[in-house]
Amino acid sequence: MMGLLNILKKLRSNPDKELRLLLLGLDNAGKTTLLKQLASEDVNHVTPTAGFNIKSVLSNGFKLNVWDIGGQRKIRPYWRNYFENTDILIYVVDCSDHQRLEETGQELAELLEDDKLRGVPLLVYANKQDLASALPASEIAQHLGLHLIRDRTWQIQACVATDGTGVKEGMEWVCKNIPAKK
Amino acid sequence: MIVFNLWSVLQWYLRPFIKWFLRKTTKLCELQRICYGDKPGAERTRNVEKSLMQSRTRDVKEVVAYLDGVVYEKRFIPRYFRDILDPSIGIILRVKKINPKLHGTFVVSFRRCLEQIWSYRSLVDQVEQLRQTQFDSTNDDHEDKLLQLWSLLVPDTPLEARVTKQWQHIGFQGDDPKTDFRGMGLLGLENLLYFATEYPQVSSHVLSHSLHPRYGYTYAIVGINITSMAYYLLKDGSAKTYMFNAKQYLPNVNLFHKFYCYLFYEFDKMWIESKPANIMEFSDIFKKFENAVRIELADPASVFRINVEVDNV
Repeated sequence: MMGLLNILKKLRSNPDKELRLLLLGLDNAGKTTLLKQLASEDVNHVTPTAGFNIKSVLSNGFKLNVWDIGGQRKIRPYWRNYFENTDILIYVVDCSDHQRLEETGQELAELLEDDKLRGVPLLVYANKQDLASALPASEIAQHLGLHLIRDRTWQIQACVATDGTGVKEGMEWVCKNIPAKK
Repeated sequence: MIVFNLWSVLQWYLRPFIKWFLRKTTKLCELQRICYGDKPGAERTRNVEKSLMQSRTRDVKEVVAYLDGVVYEKRFIPRYFRDILDPSIGIILRVKKINPKLHGTFVVSFRRCLEQIWSYRSLVDQVEQLRQTQFDSTNDDHEDKLLQLWSLLVPDTPLEARVTKQWQHIGFQGDDPKTDFRGMGLLGLENLLYFATEYPQVSSHVLSHSLHPRYGYTYAIVGINITSMAYYLLKDGSAKTYMFNAKQYLPNVNLFHKFYCYLFYEFDKMWIESKPANIMEFSDIFKKFENAVRIELADPASVFRINVEVDNV
């Protein structure tokens, strides 16, 4: 009990250890499932996100405030409202959704061009690797043109958000690549 | 925390004495006192359930286990009520030394409570099963329901194709609703369909709100989130107030659908009244709405119904 209180106090006195993570991607990419997985919550009762969800998660000594914004087309214009002060951008891709690879690539390209997200490290979760039709992470990286990114550090992580495979590895990368606060 | 534990331990020891004392002074057992003293509906049925679940009498425990078993075997349906409940009630009457000739009204009221309690438990299983059934676009039955939903909500415009942007008109996310049901499975679709079928005026009224240029929202997606709320309220027992206060119905899937319709209608009202700046306020307003519903459900006297008159204005 005391231990937890101490950790919480430390977190409060150390704002450098509090991070803002922005979770974006098309609808049905698996953002909310990922968020629930991060918070160790049940992933079997997920509903489509109207608006957004936010959760605070303790990970590797960091307090991560994770913002999960709905991915449907109607909501995408509001993504920009959440860019400010983002420490890490997490982009989730449904690797089995071949038809919308181009669409997801375009959305990501737009994000990377935005001023408010300039230099923000990017983690791409290549999700749904458990499905037979899923493309491997390397091919997704190619489709998204990740190798052409020069203005920020980035990483692609294969994962299965529903059972947690690969999720931890991604978060470890996040905690190692936190930009120095201004 | 400690005080609370102490109290529950004390209660555990004191309960038999209090019950014995009341029994001696009132000449009635606890179940009788509840059935005679508490208002019919949620108050009475919840207290009967509590009394049965707390009982340390072997025979009562066996009756509870037997009825749970019947629910598990999916046999707790009105057709079998007499066969199932008569022996159970008989055991309780014998154990509690109640003369059914003197206490006829007790038997009637107690039977109603048992029907409600175990119909609710049976409903929880049925709803869970529907939720776990994933929407499957290769299943003709599922597909028919989806198309039916369209024709009920948008009777004047036929769908141009099975996969089309038109679905967004009724608030699905993309060209194909099949991925939108997610963790709510078939339950989400059945809920939407019931609302459109049984309350055509109310649902089209709500749909028209969802298309409002300023306060619009995504009808189907919000509907699926309402399904999730209704599901959790059912699972954690909060919905008992609603279900047990429904005088004409026992808890069953249709009553769950009605509960959903009520929630959808009320949410829509709150949403419009809140004058939200945009859909991003959904989470906040939805939470506020859930809190308001939980407060209402916490009062056993609450009665819920859709105020349909509003629809005609």
